[in-house]
Amino acid sequence: MINDTVVALSRWQFASTALYHFLFVPLTLGLTVFIASLETVYVVTGKSIYREMTQFWSKLLLINFALGVATGLTMEFEFGTNWSFYSGFVGDIFGAPLAIEGLMAFFMESTMIGLMIFGWDKLSRGQHLIVTYLVALGSNLSALWILVANGFMQDPQGAIFNPVTLRMELQSFSALIFSHDAQAKFVHTSIAGYVTAAIFVAGVSAYYMLKKRHLEIAKRSFRMATIFGVLSTIGVITLGDALGFIGAHAQPAKIAAMEAMWVTEPTPAPFNLAAWPNQAKQENTWALQIPYLLTPLLTHTMDTKIPGIAEIEADNVVRIKNGIPAVEALKLLSANPTDPAAMTQFKAHEQDLGYGFLVERYAQDQDVSKATDADIAKAAKDTIPDVFTIYWVFRIMVAFAFLMLAFFVFGVIYSLRNDIEKHPVYLRFAMWMIPVPFLACEMGWITAELGRQPWTVYNLLPTWMSASSHSVSYMVFSLIGFVSLYSIFIIIEMYLMVRAIKQGPDVHHGANTGGHTKDKSLGGSVLGGSYAPVHAKALMDEQSAKEV
Amino acid sequence: MDLYLGLKVLWWLLLGVLLLGLAVMVGMDMGVGALLRIIGKTDLERRSMLNAIGPHWDGNQVWFILGGGAIFAAFPLIYATAFSGLYVVMLLLLWSMIMRPLAFEYRSKIPTETWRNIADWVFLLSGALPMIIYGAAMGNMLQGVPFHFDWDLRSHYTGSFISLFNPFAILAGVLSLALALYMGATMMVIKTEGALAERARTAGSIAIVAAIALFAAGGVWVSLMPGFILVHSVDPALAQTPLTQTVEQVAGGLLANYRGYPILWLVPVTGFFGMIVGGLLLRAHRPATAWWFGIFAWAGVLGATAVSLFPFLMPSSSNPSQSLTIWNSISSQTTLLWMTGFTVVFVPLILWYTSWAFYVMRGKVDASKIENDPHAY
Amino acid sequence: MKVIGYFLLFFVLAMILIVLAIILGDSAPWYFAWIIGTGLLILTSAAAGFMFDTQEDKAKGELQ
Repeated sequence: MINDTVVALSRWQFASTALYHFLFVPLTLGLTVFIASLETVYVVTGKSIYREMTQFWSKLLLINFALGVATGLTMEFEFGTNWSFYSGFVGDIFGAPLAIEGLMAFFMESTMIGLMIFGWDKLSRGQHLIVTYLVALGSNLSALWILVANGFMQDPQGAIFNPVTLRMELQSFSALIFSHDAQAKFVHTSIAGYVTAAIFVAGVSAYYMLKKRHLEIAKRSFRMATIFGVLSTIGVITLGDALGFIGAHAQPAKIAAMEAMWVTEPTPAPFNLAAWPNQAKQENTWALQIPYLLTPLLTHTMDTKIPGIAEIEADNVVRIKNGIPAVEALKLLSANPTDPAAMTQFKAHEQDLGYGFLVERYAQDQDVSKATDADIAKAAKDTIPDVFTIYWVFRIMVAFAFLMLAFFVFGVIYSLRNDIEKHPVYLRFAMWMIPVPFLACEMGWITAELGRQPWTVYNLLPTWMSASSHSVSYMVFSLIGFVSLYSIFIIIEMYLMVRAIKQGPDVHHGANTGGHTKDKSLGGSVLGGSYAPVHAKALMDEQSAKEV
Repeated sequence: MDLYLGLKVLWWLLLGVLLLGLAVMVGMDMGVGALLRIIGKTDLERRSMLNAIGPHWDGNQVWFILGGGAIFAAFPLIYATAFSGLYVVMLLLLWSMIMRPLAFEYRSKIPTETWRNIADWVFLLSGALPMIIYGAAMGNMLQGVPFHFDWDLRSHYTGSFISLFNPFAILAGVLSLALALYMGATMMVIKTEGALAERARTAGSIAIVAAIALFAAGGVWVSLMPGFILVHSVDPALAQTPLTQTVEQVAGGLLANYRGYPILWLVPVTGFFGMIVGGLLLRAHRPATAWWFGIFAWAGVLGATAVSLFPFLMPSSSNPSQSLTIWNSISSQTTLLWMTGFTVVFVPLILWYTSWAFYVMRGKVDASKIENDPHAY
Repeated sequence: MKVIGYFLLFFVLAMILIVLAIILGDSAPWYFAWIIGTGLLILTSAAAGFMFDTQEDKAKGELQ
């Protein structure tokens, strides 16, 4: 028998560990690419300041990277430990991208990041640049394979259920990796990482400019970060739109929840700019609507129907009824895989197998043959995710995206006019912007994954069935363990990150070993002079004084 | 030979290669971590040890992640059943594994004695515990684990957490720790100098003697334990579930394959050969060659386990007929084909750039440089 | 000889890129966009760095 509390605790545990992991991932995705850009300038121009910048941002990257790797391990384990039915049911498809991620991406990233940090004196400039590019490529390829796996959960392509082995099996590898959802979600996520890194770099640089420290490094970083950021933000918004377009076809219930659309509106449907959804009554308590906007926004046409929640739920009642015989036939096949009558019955109802599973939760003894109409109605209600949360989380994410776009546009203007340090209000604002992309990324995850409920694999496997059959005490034990460990980790991480930022770049490093210096202005008195040797020495002394 | 059957056997072998890569590369780092407090007397010595493996531990750790991923992809039912069944053990393994990267990255970033002491204890714990669990898990597989399936392959583990640490499993766990300590100590002899290297040599020698004794004791024990025999099942070349077979437990069954094919005795012999020659080479001041012989030692130990179990991977002690074998827990042919393709392309590539990375960072760790390098561990 | 070697190397690389572009452009428009986009992004922000240095040098020239 499946225990509701165990399922709920498993969900909380997965959501919290995944969201925690996802605090560190975007910054790694973006910062590696940004650092590759910095080092490109260093290798092309030979100016040692770009080497210092590369090393400084690498130092911050590494602090973040360590926690990303550590918490990623949890995710790799968690499917097996907490979601064992899921793992057995879709492991044939879902495991492959995870394994390939290790083979193709994570191995490269992890091996190369060691060389990137320690190899400065052992590699030629060109070799080191290649290593840096491979780190950036590796981290993003990593994201690619993870999102291919996630794409399968959102819109299962390229797989078929095998009644002999009682699991989903891979049919077409190319359908799996070229799934539209996987494609758009990968690009959306990867570029969201670029935006995160750009805001992070801009914010930290702004801090230095306000403090009038390391100006040479801060101003250059700021310029590159704002250009990097403004383009990526445009990309993120474009891909967000693409994801909505794809979702409108693949996951109508998620889209209806994101837009709080309770009933099917005549086309072109109005857009709920703001609303107060009430799930119990299946209506919006109030809504601020813009007429005709939703249909073109979502479908890029004026006349494509967007089904509302009531219609989706009614359709699903039919699918659940059609799915029950599939589950019954499967039970017979499990004992005797060659039973021809059961196979015929299964084939006839196969397409609604997942909907049949859905009613297990409410049927007496968790046996679908005993399901009543009332059970089926409850199961159909389950097919609608939590509208209020999804609606608002999605909206705040979009608002953040436009906020960041506006921020970057100003940043580009000030930076190109080269008077950025004359705008202290903007600089202060830039520091406050640092948490925004992280929050936006978390909200994106919530929209995508909460919107997929009640399924782990859309239309195929209910979340409720996916969890392992543990006792409640095991789940409480592991949850307490994660919460306490992760809380300690984040405190140490934040402390080290803030400390490293306050310390700033290692200015002596470039001055001592910068054999490749072509920079004519090196000896000159530059504003802030953070890399003029004399000032550098003073600063070093000041720092070591602080450390003691 | 049937393609699917061939792929099944191939992936059984590849699983072995992965578990070997994990044991050798991750085990070495774990060994260094566990020895940190024991042979590193000063902070600088400990930092020398950490920096010796510093550029590589991250890459090495991926063997662990890859191991998990490959089991998930190639043997989904093993992944699902073992990871959820051994729940508490898996979490302890995981928690110690996630503390390690942080100890590495953050230890030398804060220059206080308390902090570094905490980090050193984390290294000891996160080095020793995972290797003991790794070995204990193998030991439990040899004995069988109490689990069964529902009609839809939902697995239920019916044993307790403590029963996973039975005497035989602990023996296997300590054997695995001893081999890891040997590999870690040998690497320290290669990478460091002076008194530290000398202490590492002593530690490595003790570890390998212990490993020889434990492997011999384990062998005798295994010959006395009951094993599992597949009485009736579907053709191994066909897709199947663990619900349609009959398995029996018989005395001395773990040696059945050795009795059938005496040439297989070479597998455990390789293990002893690797340990003995490796230990002698370490004494003879040839640490690099000694390290390579450590791979033979690991291969012999893991291989002997695999031969004893074949065709089983995870037998059920409470419901033997639902035991997981290679044939009934493996992925579909399409998945295996694709995975084979990726493995053929990427594993040589990984070996190539890993060796390159070791080549670039070759040579002894320079203790004087560590204190001046802001990036050093 | 060296020139011919380089020519062949780059020629083969270009051919691989063209084939890749054709395949990806067909079945994987977003992946393709990502490859092109990320490449351009790196170069554009690198160009922003060059531009900054040019501006700085120019400003310094005017001061003197």
